[in-house]
Parts: sequence; structure tokens; C-alpha cells
Amino acid sequence: MSVKCSGLSKVYEGGKSGWPALRGISFEIESGEFVAVTGPSGCGKSTLLNIIGLLDEPTCGTYSLNGRDVLKMPDNERSRARRDEIGFVFQSFHLLNRLSAAENVCLPMMYAGMDSAAMRERADELLRRVGLNGKQRKTPLELSGGERQRVAVARCLANSPKLILADEPTGNLDSASSREIMAILSGLNREGITVVMVTHDKELAALAGRNLRLMDGRLDP
Amino acid sequence: MRPFLNAVKTGFAEIKAHKMRSVLSFLAIAVGSVVFMDAFSAIFLTYERLEKQKEVSGMARLKISQNSSRSWSSPDGYVQPPSITYEDALAFRKKFPEFYMVSPSDNNWRTVLEYENRRLVASVAGVTPEWTKRDFVYTLRGRFLDWRDVEEGLRVCVLKKKAVPPPSDSATKSVRKKYDYTAGFDTLVSHQDMLGKIVKLDGITFTVIGVLEELPVSKRPITVLESMDQEKILAPVTTLVNFGIFRSHNSLDISVDTGDERNFDEALRSIENFLRVRFGDGDFFIIENQLERIRDKISSSVKASLMTISLGLLAFIAGGIGIMNVTLATVFARTREIGVRRAVGASRGDIMLQFMVEAAMLGLIGGLLGSGAGYLWGVPAKIMLGLSVNPIKPWMPLVSIFIAVLTAFLFSIYPAWVAAGLKPADALRAE
Repeated sequence: MSVKCSGLSKVYEGGKSGWPALRGISFEIESGEFVAVTGPSGCGKSTLLNIIGLLDEPTCGTYSLNGRDVLKMPDNERSRARRDEIGFVFQSFHLLNRLSAAENVCLPMMYAGMDSAAMRERADELLRRVGLNGKQRKTPLELSGGERQRVAVARCLANSPKLILADEPTGNLDSASSREIMAILSGLNREGITVVMVTHDKELAALAGRNLRLMDGRLDP
Repeated sequence: MRPFLNAVKTGFAEIKAHKMRSVLSFLAIAVGSVVFMDAFSAIFLTYERLEKQKEVSGMARLKISQNSSRSWSSPDGYVQPPSITYEDALAFRKKFPEFYMVSPSDNNWRTVLEYENRRLVASVAGVTPEWTKRDFVYTLRGRFLDWRDVEEGLRVCVLKKKAVPPPSDSATKSVRKKYDYTAGFDTLVSHQDMLGKIVKLDGITFTVIGVLEELPVSKRPITVLESMDQEKILAPVTTLVNFGIFRSHNSLDISVDTGDERNFDEALRSIENFLRVRFGDGDFFIIENQLERIRDKISSSVKASLMTISLGLLAFIAGGIGIMNVTLATVFARTREIGVRRAVGASRGDIMLQFMVEAAMLGLIGGLLGSGAGYLWGVPAKIMLGLSVNPIKPWMPLVSIFIAVLTAFLFSIYPAWVAAGLKPADALRAE
């Protein structure tokens, strides 16, 4: 999954002329890369990731995902792209607390219209793969932080995405859990999945193949 | 189908997870449902009674009677105007064979009836078999007058047996009592089987050949043309004329059903013409256009029904606004969840569907509860409170539930649209 952006700007509304989060950045990510986006808080890392993940739109600039101009796609096609091609892992997990671990993993498959038996089977398999065998029925509130993030990783893999976007995936985890999650992400990257990870941890960034350093909404060469 | 089933599943989980919120939504819709069902059954009753009334009374009705003002308005003193005799009525019938009913009648509101050693006052009407064609709201025991009775002027009669009056307050009761000069007659007929008995009317012997039992009020259609003459005894019009039981020179009334509303005006003109030819040009008779009265009555009933149904609809709108409020609050409470669902691939349509299905489920459960409560209010509660009970047909709760679901569905469009319009990135940032 290749990502190609040029002249991306994002200005948030507020104040007299708005608040610029990104100021015209251009970069490319090749299929199969592991890229870390680093920089201090408020430099626009998460905004960039949201734009790459089709959760937000830039104020100006172009963005092509695997050669398609995604900014011109209608909303439901972008939803489909998020569902089938992109997997998200967030710092605060973003699991639905009323659902069990397995049900959380099923969510993307549910929107893909998979039948429930196949969905269950795949959810079990993915949870086993991230080391959560036997915890399928637990709700996120009954799991530790590390376990929650592993559920989130299993969820992001549900529809076999080609691009994983991780926004500070270890930000809320202890060091042991962080290492586990990083190991899983590196493993996925080795399988050929493109991974883009936002972090401000230099050690973690060093694990990535390439670093994009952001500073005040611009790429730091 | 699958997205819908998923939305239903999520909806159930949500309803279960937020019990208080759900109960309040149910109540909002249920109240609407109760009021609506009550309105519905009231309207249905009116409609049914109107239909029955059309069937029983007919529409194209008119009544010909002597213009009594003509007798007294002459400056030269009392003038005897021409009167309608039985022969005139026969001629009228012959002239208009296509009419559904031509019923000549007259009455004497104060006749003395003698039976065994009792003497009672009753009103008597002279009629023909055509009398039964309209406004016949009785069950008959024995037989009614036939044409032979009329043609030969036989001394036979049919007595009316009064139905048990509906419960009324003491004021109405005392008024009724004050003017009920035939109470003795009613008591006699309701306590004794008069069929086949011999009675005397103003000293002349008659045989009772039939008893007409009035239908109870609840089973009677709305009678628009409520008869002013509460005749208790019916006898052949010829017999009463021959034996002088009417006042001399009495003119018969003729009740007519032309059988067809459409050429009613034409029929009216033909009748006027007939009267002019037969009795001369003197405005001696009044033709009462009863079709107009029936139409007025029907339209006022329809208006009253619309009032009632608008109350029911208002109740639903109130319930719908309740649902809208709840759904909107739900959307804001679940903004982060909407973000998560959007991030994992839910489309705007999926999000809209989810909230609308959830609201429709609130409507469905509210409608079910409301219909149950509506039934309890409509029948047992009203009986306990002594209110009049309207019939509840099996399809009424179904319609009421359908409208509850529809209301909830419609009122959830806006909140669902708000939910679907949230930007995923903004929604994820929400607390």
C-alpha cells in the first residue's frame, strides 16, 4: 500500500485565521515500509495520521492511496477503504466497552457484511494470534491495558488491511506491554503490511525503517 | 438485511444498557399510543354508526306534511286547508313507483288503552307496511301489519316494548319522569306478554298481533331523524281513520325515501308538481328536506372525529419529540463510539440506520405497551369509571403500534442525520 502526499495543509477553525496544524508537507511511503512519524506534542503528527487514515480531510493538498485520489472519493467509498484496506490502533485503544473482546474484533467484519459464524471464527483466530486465547468473552474493562491494545490490534487485522496506522500505540502501556505490541507490529510489517506509527519515543522510532520528523507542521529534513 | 439485523442487535443492547432512558422513551410513545387508540376507537364507532345509519335510515329522505300555518294565517279566520287522505297517499305511490319508501302515517298522541281492568294512556300511530322500510331498529315478535290489514281496515295492532334506558344522572331521570306520560304503558308491555291479547283503543277492540322490542341504545345506529312522535302502538292507518281515532280532518304525513341521493332534487320537483296538480296552488304542504339534515349531521360527526384524531396525533408528536430528544442525547453521549465505528469502516448510512432502528425499536416497545394500556383504559378502566366504552377492534392496536414505530422512525431522522454527519476524527476526539 503506497501513500503519496504533496502540499498537505490542515488549518483548524478557531481564532481569527484558524490554527494551522500542517503547513504544506509532501512525502511518499512505499508499500511494505515501516515508517515512524515523530515530533513534539502539537506538531501535527496525529492530524497527519488522521488524514492518511481518511478520518479527516486536509484543507489543501493532494493525497493518493495506491494511486487513487482519495480526497475526491465520495464518503461511502472512503468508509469502504477504511474498512477493507486500513487498520487503526489508537493510543487510548478506542474499544467499545459494552462489547466483549471478540465482538470488538468482529466490528469491522460486521460492517463488511460477513456472516456471523465466519466472523466468530476469524475473531477467535486473531485473538489467539495476539495471545488472548480464552479472553474472547471478557469486556475491555476486564482486561489490562496491554491486553486491550492487543484486542485493538486484532480488530485492526480483521479485514486483512494492507496499511496499519498506529497513533502512539504504546503511549498508555508499561514497557513490557509496549515491547509486546511493538513486536506484533514489526511482525505484521515483515508479513508485508505497510505500518505508519506516530510516536514521540525515540527508542520506538528507531525500530522503524524510516522516520518522518515533524516540527510545527512541517517536515524536518 | 444483515446491517439491519446488526442494528437491531445493537439496539437491543443499547435499550438494555440504558434502562431509565428507555423506560422514559417508552412512556412518551405509550401515552401517545393510548390517546391515539382511544381517539381511534371513538372515530371508528362514529363511522360505524354513520354507516349503519345510512343503511337503516337511508339518505334521500323527505317528509310531506300539512302546512299548519296556512290554517291560521288567513285574516278571515280559520280556513280548512286540503288534507292528505289515504287515497291521496295511494295515488302518490302510484305516481312514484320507483321510490324506495312511501309511508303515510298519522298519530294520536293521547289514546286510552284498556286491558283487563287497567286504563292507560298511550300514543298511537296509523301506518302501512311501508313503515318498516326505514328506521326499523326493533326486533319483532309475532308479525307486523300487512297490506290486507290496511286494505280491509282490520282491528289489529302492534305494541312497542321500550328498551332499558341507558344509565343517566338523577336530573335527567327526573326530567324524563316528568314528561313520561306513557310510563304506565311501558310497564304493562314490559311485564306482560301482550302478544295475541285483546285490548281496547279509545273504546274499540283490537288484537295485538306483534310486539316490537326496541334495540338497546348501545346497539342502535345513530338516528338522525329522531322521531318526535314517540308512538307506542301501531295500527293500520285506514282502521284508525275509519274508527275516528284521529281528530277529524286530520291530514296524513308521508315519509319518503326516493331511493337515490343523486336525483333527489329532481324527485323534490316532481313531488311539488304532484301536490300542485292534486291540491291546487296554495302552499298547503311543507316538504321537509331531510337529506340536508342527514348530511349536516354526518359532517358534524366527521368534524368531531377529526378533532379527536388530531388530539391523538398531537400526543404522538409529543411522544415523537421525546424520542427525538432522547436520540439526540444518545448521539452526543455516544459520539466517541460513532467515531470508532466510522474508523473501522461504518458508512454514514450504517450510522443513520443504527440510530433510526434503535428509535424505531423504542417506538415499537412503546407502542406495544401503549396498546396494552390503551386496551386497559379503553375497556376495564372505563367500565370502572362508568364511562361509555368504545369497541376496540383487533386491528386498532396494530395500527397504533405501526404509527408509534413510524413516529419514532420519523423523529429519529434528524438526530441520526446529525450522528452520520459527524467527522470521524472529531468524533474520536470526543470524551
